[in-house]
Amino acid sequence: MLFFSFFKTLTNQTVTIELKNDIRIRGILKSVDQYLNIKLDDIEVLDLDKYPHLSSVKNMFIRGSVVRYVMLPRSEVDVGLLEDATRREAANQAGKAR
Amino acid sequence: MADNEDAGAPSEPLDLVRLSLDEIVFVKLRGDRELKGRLHAYDSHCNLVLGDVEETIYVVEEDDNEEETTRTIKKQEEMLFVRGDSVVLISPQA
Amino acid sequence: MSFFGFDSNLPRDRQPGPSATRGFFENPDPFAEVARARALEDDDAIDFEDTYDGLGDQLDDDQDAFNDDTFGGGGGAGPSTGAVGKDFDFFGKTATVADAIGEEQIRYTLQNPQAVLVAGQHVQPDAQPEPAFTKRSGYEKYSDPGFIPDLQAKSSVWGVSQKKPEPIPLPGMSAARKMMSLDEVEAQMQMRNLGYQPSPVPQAMHPHLADPSAYMRHPQNIPLPDGFPTIPPEVLRAQLERGGLPPGMPHPPPGMPDMHGPPPGIPGMPPHHMQGNPPQNIPPQGIPPPGMRQPGPPPNQRAPQQQQQQQVPPPTSRGPNGGLPVITDPQQLVHLTEEQRNAYLVEDAKRAKRNHKIFLLSRGNGLMTPQDKNFITRIQLQQLVAAAGNVADADPEAVLAEDFYYQVYSQIRGAPRQHPHQPLGHFAQTYLLQTGNRIGGHGNRRAFHSADNHMQRMQQQVQRAVEAAKAKPKNKQLIIEGSLGKISFSNAKAPKPMLNIKRPDSSEGPRPKKLHSDLSLSDRKSILTNIEGVYSGLMSMEDMERTMPPPPEEGDAEAIQEHMEWRQKARSLNQKLWQSLKVMEPIVPNSTTPHPFIAFLSYPKGKKAIPRIFRHIDQEQRVTILTMIVVHLDSLDVVHLAQPVPGEAQLSLAMREAIDLFSLAVMPSLLGYVNEAPFNIIIGLLGLVIAQTHVQTVARTRVGLGILTMLLSRAEIVKEAGQASEVDWQQWVAKFNVLFDTLEPALADIFTSPINSGDDMYVWQFLAAVGIGASPEQQQRLVIAVKDRVMETVAYSKTLPADMASSRLGNVNLFMRAIGLDVELLG
Repeated sequence: MLFFSFFKTLTNQTVTIELKNDIRIRGILKSVDQYLNIKLDDIEVLDLDKYPHLSSVKNMFIRGSVVRYVMLPRSEVDVGLLEDATRREAANQAGKAR
Repeated sequence: MADNEDAGAPSEPLDLVRLSLDEIVFVKLRGDRELKGRLHAYDSHCNLVLGDVEETIYVVEEDDNEEETTRTIKKQEEMLFVRGDSVVLISPQA
Repeated sequence: MSFFGFDSNLPRDRQPGPSATRGFFENPDPFAEVARARALEDDDAIDFEDTYDGLGDQLDDDQDAFNDDTFGGGGGAGPSTGAVGKDFDFFGKTATVADAIGEEQIRYTLQNPQAVLVAGQHVQPDAQPEPAFTKRSGYEKYSDPGFIPDLQAKSSVWGVSQKKPEPIPLPGMSAARKMMSLDEVEAQMQMRNLGYQPSPVPQAMHPHLADPSAYMRHPQNIPLPDGFPTIPPEVLRAQLERGGLPPGMPHPPPGMPDMHGPPPGIPGMPPHHMQGNPPQNIPPQGIPPPGMRQPGPPPNQRAPQQQQQQQVPPPTSRGPNGGLPVITDPQQLVHLTEEQRNAYLVEDAKRAKRNHKIFLLSRGNGLMTPQDKNFITRIQLQQLVAAAGNVADADPEAVLAEDFYYQVYSQIRGAPRQHPHQPLGHFAQTYLLQTGNRIGGHGNRRAFHSADNHMQRMQQQVQRAVEAAKAKPKNKQLIIEGSLGKISFSNAKAPKPMLNIKRPDSSEGPRPKKLHSDLSLSDRKSILTNIEGVYSGLMSMEDMERTMPPPPEEGDAEAIQEHMEWRQKARSLNQKLWQSLKVMEPIVPNSTTPHPFIAFLSYPKGKKAIPRIFRHIDQEQRVTILTMIVVHLDSLDVVHLAQPVPGEAQLSLAMREAIDLFSLAVMPSLLGYVNEAPFNIIIGLLGLVIAQTHVQTVARTRVGLGILTMLLSRAEIVKEAGQASEVDWQQWVAKFNVLFDTLEPALADIFTSPINSGDDMYVWQFLAAVGIGASPEQQQRLVIAVKDRVMETVAYSKTLPADMASSRLGNVNLFMRAIGLDVELLG
């Protein structure tokens, strides 16, 4: 749940998503679910000349599994907190495994 | 809540990754891609968040003499979420 | 050669092959040949015959003795030809289809009588049915825009038709769908004798024909019963011209033999036919539904009379239904007046429209089973719950475990939280402290220079020291004459040669020991493991802190007990944290590997942990850490790896970041302790710096100077506050003198950045701290050592914009005032 929790703090931020087929889409992160499926608003395809079929799309739902990267605004990430949340998640996982 | 026993030697593979939290790591990805950046988060799926990342993409190209040359593309990202199913390996950047 | 490449030969033309007659299944044992072939090969593989249990051979594939039982004859050899399907109930389906067809036919008749007349030629019971009708599946009518849905089926839903308060002559369409009582049959026969040529089939005499579905299914195949009339076309046409169909004759289209009695409403129609109401349309006469009907004496003996009276109203009589008679059978339409017919058709079209809509809406019906729906609903609920942050989950700990980042982040950045009552405050506090440069919150980062905050605090401390020192000047004479002696400031660019002191070669002296380059991978791993252990300990303590019971009241033994237990636990966690910090590991002199704690501090996350650690340890532990750092001052990465490299304007980016982080994370914690430390500890620490470290190395770094400044200014403040005993002070002065003498050769090198970088504030702070504590003679030596930098900075600041110039001069002036001067004096 760590990254679900993480992405929830990034809603309404502008992010760039790179899909596994190299399409890069910039848009406002509207919502995310536990599978890290993503809803983007006001999207803009970065190399539109390569993917003109997306020119008329204004918002989209992206299945989490097709995502390669999500580029995030650094100022909206609390790195220290994120690291501690990661440590807690790791400890929780280890606790569950035991 | 916090694990009290992992002060000892790491016992699971991901415990090794934990040691690299807030350290520079090298990540190899599917599709001839590599990342180098500071590890800020990971989970059991190898989803990652990296800061100050340099991405290197290796593109194999065939020139006129049909010789294969590898071209590299480098990109910089300040903060990057990496979906775990692309990750091949995570290595501490010693 | 066929167009599509199929074998276009008709079966009869095909060469009769071995398997051409009845295909694969003709052979009782289709695998027998294979098995035989296998047996001939006689190999070691598993033989089919060996494993075959032979059950298949027992199957009577070629005997269809019971087919007739199963399928109701039809084999040709069966004894009961034509006695088809009386035990199947296709009633519902066939009835609706038949009704719809009948209705369409009526409509067609009404709209296009001529066509019907022509079609009437074919309306013969034994005429070949039109293929279009035989191929009907019953569903294609939905795509027909003129489709009128089956009215009877609809009214059947309600069992009792509320639309018919008065009994309406019900059509004979389904009159035969029930067994007639003996009386009815008799009446019917009687009526037939009264002049109706074509007599309806007395169903009672043909029990096996009583089920109309048999006719519906294979109307054309069934030989007509004996009594069934054959009507010549002329008669039929005559009947149609009169506007009705002759009773007892089949409805058009052909192939739908009529088993019903004569339609009602025809003069002379005996009332008995009311008995033939379709079971779905039970008029309020008390006739029980067919299932309840006893085979015995008819329960409706007096019904005929009633019905006769009720039937009397002519078709024109106004029913409650908008003045229209209720039509339940298409045939009734034929008897209506033109006006009524139109009204009825309009009404009917409305209903058709509505029914079509219902049909469209119900198109997806039955696609999913209830289990499917349940499954989906559960998934959706699960997701809702997950997305809503598990509102139902009352356990804040569980929420915290699953959603830590979001919860704490929201607290820090002020976003609305879903669980405002959670005890998260102190977490937010922890992370706010941790990243002290985000005091403004909401990502409103304060400074580009993350160390500025610390520098300001240091500045304040030094200023306090300077102010305190100025209150009692050591040497008025010096101030008046200027501690810069006989230097003529008016000619700063060409100072008098007498002051041109030769600088000692500061590059001499022992270099710092080589440390980190020898770090092996396993060391690195163990250090990182230690650090993660510390973080685990920290998080345990932070969780522990959250569960701290309220301070117990007097006499509340239970609360006291609880509190004691909590304290005990907290103490053990503290010990654990302390152990994992490895501060108390013995110091090995001249070791090639750094002390574990110093190694801990060489990692960013080690540095970041210090402020959090300081919150959870006591003063004694804090001074131990401070001592450890001071003793290893020249081994710290931010000191020994931060030595200025000749020819390079500044350090590497990584090192600058490390220094910034140390200044941001570690220094404030240390300063916080030093500001409260007793004087003897300060003296001790200064002694350690002198004795244990290479002071000149330390002095060339920001962190090294920072720690020295810290100690010197604290000593000055203690002294000025009158808290220092004379003995302590003497001790301090002795140490200070050693320090000054050691430092003096390096003073020219402590400015590691070029004059235009503006990054020398910490050096002026240090010089000021030294200047306050220095004797007049030392002050003069100090001035001599740094006067060039003073003059250059003053000159350089004149080229800068006013605000930058004043800040630069302010830095210099901090030092100048510490030794009783002011940049203003420099002209």
